[in-house]
Amino acid sequence: MKRSIAVLVGVLLFGAARVPAEHALFTNRAQRHLVAVALDLSLREQIGQLGFIAALSGFRAIVADLLFIQAHVAWERTEWSRVLLLFGQVTSLQPHSILFWDIAAWHMAWNASAAALHNPAQPREALRIRAQREYFDLGRDFLERGIQNNPDNPKLYEALGRLYREKYKDHARASEFFAKAAEKPGAPSYVKRFALYELSYCEGREREAYDRLLRLYQSSENERLPTLIGRLKYLEEQLNIAPDQRIPDQTR
Amino acid sequence: MIESAVHITGVSKTFPIPFTRRSIVAVRDLHLRVEPGEVYGLLGPNGSGKSTTLKIILGLILPDCGKAQIFGRDTSEVASREAVGFLPESPYFPKYLTAFETLRFFGKLYSLRPAELSRRVAELLELVGLTSAGDRRLGGFSKGMLQRIGLAQALINNPRLVVLDEPTAGVDPAGSAEIRDLILDLKRRGITVLLSSHLLEQVQEVCDRIGILADGVLVREGRIGELLAVENQSELIYGNGTSDLSAQLEQVVRSSGGQVIENRKSRTTLERLFLEATRK
Amino acid sequence: MNARFFSLGRVRAIGSNTFTELTRLRVFYVFLLFALLLIGSSVVMARLSFQQEFQVLKDISLGAISIFTSLLAILATARMLPQDIEDRTVYTILAKPVARSEYLVGKLAGVLVLLAISTAVMAALFFAALYIREQSALAETMRQMSAAPPEQVADALREIRDSTFHADLLAGIAAIFIKAAVLASLTLFISTFASSNIFTVVVAVVVYFIGHLQGTAREFWLQEQGAGWFTRIFLACVALLFPDLQLFNLNDQVVAGATIPPAQFVETALLGCFYVAIYLPLSVAVFARKEL
Repeated sequence: MKRSIAVLVGVLLFGAARVPAEHALFTNRAQRHLVAVALDLSLREQIGQLGFIAALSGFRAIVADLLFIQAHVAWERTEWSRVLLLFGQVTSLQPHSILFWDIAAWHMAWNASAAALHNPAQPREALRIRAQREYFDLGRDFLERGIQNNPDNPKLYEALGRLYREKYKDHARASEFFAKAAEKPGAPSYVKRFALYELSYCEGREREAYDRLLRLYQSSENERLPTLIGRLKYLEEQLNIAPDQRIPDQTR
Repeated sequence: MIESAVHITGVSKTFPIPFTRRSIVAVRDLHLRVEPGEVYGLLGPNGSGKSTTLKIILGLILPDCGKAQIFGRDTSEVASREAVGFLPESPYFPKYLTAFETLRFFGKLYSLRPAELSRRVAELLELVGLTSAGDRRLGGFSKGMLQRIGLAQALINNPRLVVLDEPTAGVDPAGSAEIRDLILDLKRRGITVLLSSHLLEQVQEVCDRIGILADGVLVREGRIGELLAVENQSELIYGNGTSDLSAQLEQVVRSSGGQVIENRKSRTTLERLFLEATRK
Repeated sequence: MNARFFSLGRVRAIGSNTFTELTRLRVFYVFLLFALLLIGSSVVMARLSFQQEFQVLKDISLGAISIFTSLLAILATARMLPQDIEDRTVYTILAKPVARSEYLVGKLAGVLVLLAISTAVMAALFFAALYIREQSALAETMRQMSAAPPEQVADALREIRDSTFHADLLAGIAAIFIKAAVLASLTLFISTFASSNIFTVVVAVVVYFIGHLQGTAREFWLQEQGAGWFTRIFLACVALLFPDLQLFNLNDQVVAGATIPPAQFVETALLGCFYVAIYLPLSVAVFARKEL
């Protein structure tokens, strides 16, 4: 009996010794956004007991993948509320998977919104447009939550920039998010150009856009793409830039 | 004074029964001595405390009180087992290992050097008569062969004391005879043997001294010859006598005031003694 | 002969014997085959999920390696002591000048070698499958983008390569092995006081699940001020008694492309070694007085 108590005390002392180290490791990872979000009960209700246990036991990735496949099937059947529900679960299980946030936003803001706009069961156009915008907002929500969980990844900023550009037609916000994407490590080379293209569409900011596009044009041969040259030419006209200060007419 | 091979003084061992307040007394105030070079038989019915006693000697169990020593070293010390070889009852050896590999494994547990280990393994296989089967897997061995391998692993370290628990259990008469001869050979080499067995006839053939345990208590101990002697009776075993000689001898006994108890052909008495000593 | 001090020779002999015995277990080969099939089939499954190709392949493969090594760690270790006691092999070994600590260390060493080799075999197959898919994706992309500007092609190919191999995959796999080592040493500790093989397995599996919740309980205990005293005591017990196995799960982050800084991996590895270094003496402390 004495020995059993001694061993139990040993286990507890070991626990007391390792808890600070574990807490430090956990905190370090949380700061680097490497910690998977703790699962809450509502998620448990959604994915069932077995799935919950599997998710807790370190197999949340596989559970998320299986739910993703189900979401894909739901998309094929245009069951949009089920797509929304499943992607909510998938992104909760795997908040650090950029792909899931991106595809979730795409399904809502592009696919579901288009289906809502052309919904034959809704005769009133105003209501169809409202439903479409609601799906835009759902798509935006996915991307914003994705960015909260992965603040250093450029892809979701880029996706949000595209969403504002193509769906909300909000060039200012599109430019803002493309610019944020361009600041992040590993950003593709084109996002900084996209930020300036969108800026060039913003009323009252043409001069700013021109100056920055010109700097980009002058920085490297590789930047002298047809779209960039086209925007510069347009802005030169808009801003009445002196001919001797204009860029040459020839394209790359 | 020569150190005893095994010296147990005042050892008791009780096993508590889980979830109750009762306990089983396996061994009670045991005093036992095995002298170097002798073959000692530890006998007793099931539950008498034989296995517990052997385990205490081998350090597998610690006694509640008392002392157990092997050649002067307390059995709780790991070092006390340097001089001991042990063959458990019906030992298990991995079937996929050869005899050679099995003995090499046990030899490594004694930290034997490779060259010495190889030499020792070859010697032991020859001693137990299994040289030709050295490269065969144990899965193909008979019970008797397995017991001989068991004995070989017990001898791998050139022990001064060999403890054998039911060495001939389940072995056919031929195999038992081989093991008996091996035990006698060990005795000739001066190795002390402590064996535990139910097969009383075999014990009688090899043991110098025996101890009988019953309910954890050593109820009888001594040399076989002395124990089996009935105090006020004598046996005269003769051969090739005439048919009248038996009647004449009976007359001599009566005329001297003695009593003829029985006149019969000779037979063993150990079994009778064993049953009488352990009768409740 | 030196029976007095801890002998690596004896530990090596017992470890080698344990390893050989474990490789003869049929269940080991069934599990290994299952894990290898799962890794192989993830290539097909990945295709079914189109864009998610590499993520699914990595998730399923790393998940298979994780579950197989965890199961093997528990099942292989749980059977060792009860089997040796039933066979009386433990008597044959401990009746020799072998300290009980040497016996346990040797047993654990045998299991760890088995786990290391199994992990390496599965990792090799996983990397082979990943390489095959990567080469196929690269070739397909170059074919599809043959008319595109070189910079865009380079970007696309770089994205594919970034999605497949990176050094942190090795860190993830190493962490899987470390978790299995922790589970094996924990199971060994449980088996020293357990009454049977099945009891050990059941307790180890329960600890496995609770171990993945321990981090949540611990952080709640350390940070939450409003909880009642009973809740706090309960959370403290969970935090102190159970290991945090979630700390050894780097797969999710690795597959998502996050980098694992070397310092953090070293800390994780040291924590794992600390677990093993504590569970082993605890096992020896219990086993030293176990009546055989």
